Amino acid sequence: MADRTRRGVLAAAASLPLLAVSGCKGVGALAPPPRPGPDVAVLRAAIAAEEAMIARYGTAITRFPGLAKTLTGLRAEHRLHLAELRTRLVIPPGSPYRSGFASPAPRLAGAPGAATAALPAGQAAALDFLQTAEDGAAAALLRGLTAVPPSLAQLLASVAASESTHVAVLRSAAG
Amino acid sequence: MSGTAVGPGTVSALQAALAAEHAAVYGYGVAGAYLDGPAETTATAYWNAHQVARDTLEAMLRQAGAQPVAAAPAYELPHKVDGPVSAVRLAVLLENRVTAAYLGVVAVSDPAVRQFGARAMAAAAGRAASWRGRTVAFPGFPPSAFGS
Repeated sequence: MADRTRRGVLAAAASLPLLAVSGCKGVGALAPPPRPGPDVAVLRAAIAAEEAMIARYGTAITRFPGLAKTLTGLRAEHRLHLAELRTRLVIPPGSPYRSGFASPAPRLAGAPGAATAALPAGQAAALDFLQTAEDGAAAALLRGLTAVPPSLAQLLASVAASESTHVAVLRSAAG
Repeated sequence: MSGTAVGPGTVSALQAALAAEHAAVYGYGVAGAYLDGPAETTATAYWNAHQVARDTLEAMLRQAGAQPVAAAPAYELPHKVDGPVSAVRLAVLLENRVTAAYLGVVAVSDPAVRQFGARAMAAAAGRAASWRGRTVAFPGFPPSAFGS
């Protein structure tokens, strides 16, 4: 008896939202979802920066086979960064701002953009370019992490720390 | 850090980072005794860096009106250190723990403290990588955190 009463209460509670909605104009009449917050822009920029870095490393690995082992390892870490960052970006189905997600991602201030993806021709210049790109990407992440929730700030800080260690590896490879 | 309106979460995170720095200062004292040549020079430089970081954290905590945690008289080492290999292994572990402690600092709400924590993370991650001889994708997080 007690269990039946409890079920009744649960069923009544579950029906309340439906009753409330049935008296309204449906979900289409609800206010549009809020615009994406600043953390979304930071996240999209971070994703775009990782994609650009992966592309640069791909070019460098093809062009300088002698550096392939070192550069492949660094690119693998960028791929892990990208995969984790993508899991943090949730695009609501049917979001009126969905097209905004498909538009070119904003750049974090100071981060190298896709337009600079082309590498310099020589090995030394390319390694120098990659160092600068890693350094710029890490610095941009540090600036961006003040605008995001704590858990994302931790991820961005960790990615930035990883990328700053890449600079030392590239410097060492350059001799 | 402003010195005013510092929340308990910020103080707690800074205290945890300070505790890790205290342990690192002690640990490098042990590790350095088993290293020589360039490794000893590196260990000395990193030992100095941890002392500077310790002093900085203590100053930040005092500015926030908190009493900085004191160093323990001695620390139990995570493993036996009896030569260069185990000394380097200890150094890596110390840096990993310091990096993880600063990861907690990054989670606080104060933007300046966040950035301080992130820079300290990068420094510790760099030192860890130099001892380890390789980089990791997510410094500060446990290796299993993201399947890396």
